Amino acid sequence: MSVLAYGVVAWLFLVGIYGVVTSRNLIHMVVCLSVAQSATDVLLLEIGYRTGGHAPVFVSLPTHPGPAVDAVMQALALTDVVVGAAVTALLLALVVQVHKRAGTLDPDALRATRD
Amino acid sequence: MSRRARLVFFAVAAAGLAVTLGVGLAGLPSFGSQLTAYARMLNELASPQRHVTDVVSAITFDYRGIDTLFEEFILLAAVAGISVLLRPLSDESRQLPEDKAPNRKIPPPSPAVWLLAVLLSSLLTLIGLETITHGVLTPGGGFQAGVILASAIYVIYLGTNYATVERFQPDPLLEASDGVGAFGYVVIGLLGLLAGDVFLSNVVGLGVTGNLIAGGTIPLLNLVVGVEVAGGFAILASEFLDQTAVIRTERR
Amino acid sequence: MDLVVSTSAVIPASVVVPLAAAALMVGFSRFLPRWARDLIAIAVALATTALTLILMAASAGHPMIYWFSGWRPSAGMVIGIDYAVGPLGAGMASLAGVLASAALVYCWRYFDSARGRHHALVLIFLAASVDFCLTGDLFNLFVAFELVAVTAFALTGYNAGHPAPLQGAINFAVTNSLGGMSVLMGVGFLYARTGSLNLAQIGQALSGRHPDGLIVVAFALLTGGFLVKAAVVPFHFWLPDAYGSAPIPVCVLFAGVMSELGLFAVIRVWDTVFSGLAGGSGPRMRAVLLGLGILTAVVGAVMALAQIHLKRMLAFVTMSHMGIYLIGVGLLTPLGLAGASLLVIGDGLAKSALFLGVGVVQHQRASVSEIKLRGRGRGLAVTGVTIMLGALVLADLPPYVSSAGHALLVKAAEQAGLPWLEIVIALSVSLSSGAVLRAAGRIWLGWGSSQSPRPDTGTADDPGEEAKDRSDTANSANAEGAPGTQESIGSTDGGPAGADRDQDGREWSGRLRRVPLTMLLPPLALLAIGLGLGLTSGVEEHAAAAAAAFSDRAAYATAVLRTHVGPVPTGGRVVVPASPAASAGGVLTDLGQVLAALCVAGIALDRRAVGLRRALAAGTGWLRRLHSGLVGDQVTWLVAGLALLAALSEAALH
Repeated sequence: MSVLAYGVVAWLFLVGIYGVVTSRNLIHMVVCLSVAQSATDVLLLEIGYRTGGHAPVFVSLPTHPGPAVDAVMQALALTDVVVGAAVTALLLALVVQVHKRAGTLDPDALRATRD
Repeated sequence: MSRRARLVFFAVAAAGLAVTLGVGLAGLPSFGSQLTAYARMLNELASPQRHVTDVVSAITFDYRGIDTLFEEFILLAAVAGISVLLRPLSDESRQLPEDKAPNRKIPPPSPAVWLLAVLLSSLLTLIGLETITHGVLTPGGGFQAGVILASAIYVIYLGTNYATVERFQPDPLLEASDGVGAFGYVVIGLLGLLAGDVFLSNVVGLGVTGNLIAGGTIPLLNLVVGVEVAGGFAILASEFLDQTAVIRTERR
Repeated sequence: MDLVVSTSAVIPASVVVPLAAAALMVGFSRFLPRWARDLIAIAVALATTALTLILMAASAGHPMIYWFSGWRPSAGMVIGIDYAVGPLGAGMASLAGVLASAALVYCWRYFDSARGRHHALVLIFLAASVDFCLTGDLFNLFVAFELVAVTAFALTGYNAGHPAPLQGAINFAVTNSLGGMSVLMGVGFLYARTGSLNLAQIGQALSGRHPDGLIVVAFALLTGGFLVKAAVVPFHFWLPDAYGSAPIPVCVLFAGVMSELGLFAVIRVWDTVFSGLAGGSGPRMRAVLLGLGILTAVVGAVMALAQIHLKRMLAFVTMSHMGIYLIGVGLLTPLGLAGASLLVIGDGLAKSALFLGVGVVQHQRASVSEIKLRGRGRGLAVTGVTIMLGALVLADLPPYVSSAGHALLVKAAEQAGLPWLEIVIALSVSLSSGAVLRAAGRIWLGWGSSQSPRPDTGTADDPGEEAKDRSDTANSANAEGAPGTQESIGSTDGGPAGADRDQDGREWSGRLRRVPLTMLLPPLALLAIGLGLGLTSGVEEHAAAAAAAFSDRAAYATAVLRTHVGPVPTGGRVVVPASPAASAGGVLTDLGQVLAALCVAGIALDRRAVGLRRALAAGTGWLRRLHSGLVGDQVTWLVAGLALLAALSEAALH
């Protein structure tokens, strides 16, 4: 069970980076970057998980509630989501302008910064 | 590097990174097996200490409140950055969209779609307000609710044409709410300093656990964060819309 | 060492003041006139500098620990987030404040601040840098890292009308985001093992243990992510793209502060968390860090020589010096850290002066190509002097503070039994400063050939930043869209709308006749500060003491956790060499480096050395081609770098 659960993290990260490296479209590349970002979210949440646990919200609980999961990791994951959203939005704004100014969305066709 | 060379190089490098991640992940405690002492302590103490039932809110806005201040500013910086990146440049001008055929106005939005948009938007606003205010009791809070409130505005954009949208886009108000939200968090933090304690101390009366208004500064911080996030995402949409619909580059 | 929990309001004020001002500026700047926005931004940056300087002085004897939200640790377990203010961190934060103030003064009036949003972003950048330097919490470090990054991405793409800044910003954003993800995974791994996010507590949990696979990987991911920000080989490929196309005031912040923050995080995390591992600070770990530092220094210097684009050249100069700082830090001794700190301060001031000087040239001559600018420096004498002086300071011209840092670094290398490091440093410094001096000689003295050594790729066509604040008139449909309006200076804009625009309209007919003082004075002021610090006696002792306090893991843990954690070492004072022979030798070495830099510049300009230059260019062509500017390549190198660093860390720590 651990192998599968934690393996998802490595898989998402590597697949996202593979998408970034081989991308021919900047918007596709930005989305692949957010796939890689989601790997870190999954890792944080998985570290905080407790089998048979309930959410760390102590209202309307059953009689024998069992342990709650890690609330700190959830707060961290929330921050990570915000960071990911901010960066994705910024990158998309840049992509919009690149399309207008360079006339292309192919990352390998951008030749404006090279020696 | 040619694409082929890059792919080969990447394959080798990714294999190395996969091994690295594998070694790291293998050292983690078995999935679902235990919580750290820190997490257990906070789960036990958050309710009695802060009179809230949603521990994540307590952590976000109280125990680790300074992190959230910077997180809020990440969103503010991103929104300010996007409005800088998408601002009209010197060779661009703003022109309202026109119909391609001469002497013909853009047809008005379909009344059915508009009705749906208004209904949905009202519902979303209600849900957003509910999420903000119940952030201390159930999962939710400022960030989540801010996005829901902003989507109430997005639905309006989807239901109508640009001219109507412009009426619903009071830019000064959105910017002001963005700035006020961020500034408000700082001000609430300063309350702690004014009360003789440290920054971001919870110095307002804690109330009774289970009430909407409980947790001291936590519901207040929820509110300002919600205002900031809603304003920020609304500005985001208006900036991207402007780029597509309105800003035209001059051809020289 | 005194253990002080501080409730001084100065500590939170140092981040709250710029954050609050930035929030208000984002919200309400459309109601402020332009001069008010500039003035408020400059005032806030200066105030933040003053606050961090106070912190640096106040924390000199003992660290000041500030617990946010009032959550002090109970029974050795940390609950909240703390700032652990020490002179090294506060000093780095003060440098950020000084450079931000200089950059904002430079922006006065002749910079389109996008209705104050550029200034707001700079202030947020400053606040995030201060938080980065002062924080004692690992996740707060990550959040500050991301906030610095987000503001930097937006500021890089500022000249959104050209493809180069946009591409630079995309490369920057993609690579540094991946670096941030790497850091976050490292944070997660450490939390899973030690159950804490506080640097001191994690360090306590790890001390004396033998590192297993998880710890090694956590170290590699954390350090690798921070090294992306620090632009160390092979994570550096984004740097010339971003620094070469960002607006000048932003380059000042990047070169002087942002890259150094990456390195600061590496040594901070090492000193507080990993240095207590059994068998940690051995020669193998040192070898890894030194190897990376040497590689970065040499690659940066060689690439700097190959540039004709002035901003890209300075970007590689920055990178080369980052390699030298990594050498200082990688010695893993307080003396090396002290030397690196003084170098960071002195070089930071000088690099910023160089960027501001290039900015003046760009503003007045609408180009940053060394070849196109040949001989056109007449009439910009002050800027010429500034640039030449800056290049010499980077070569450790005595008595600037960077030469003091260089002396400490050399001494540290000798103590570690690696005296040949001095030769590596001298080589890279001579090459990189020589490149800048060559450019200065060509531009101001008209020496050297007027042909580019290879086909001009056109990346040096950079007309510079706009000066009109166009967002103010964004709503008047076609006022600014008149055909024939150029983006660079030289726009003869008719129809001024308001009182201050009238003045702009008049002065903007053709080139400015005089360079405004607000552009000339900041670089000179920065160089003067460097000179003043260098002439201050005892600056080496202060740096050594600050570094010793920074490196002392056990004392730091005791201060933060307020529980006795075993025998506290008496904190041996770091002995700063003060013998006259040593300092005379140091001055000679520094002068030797300066001379070498001048010789390199001379050879580069001499027509008779054309054959030598062609041979060198051919020999390094492969290195230049690697810097393709393609984001796919850069990410591949990043992945390879992370894997390599993990393998090296395994060998070093196990």
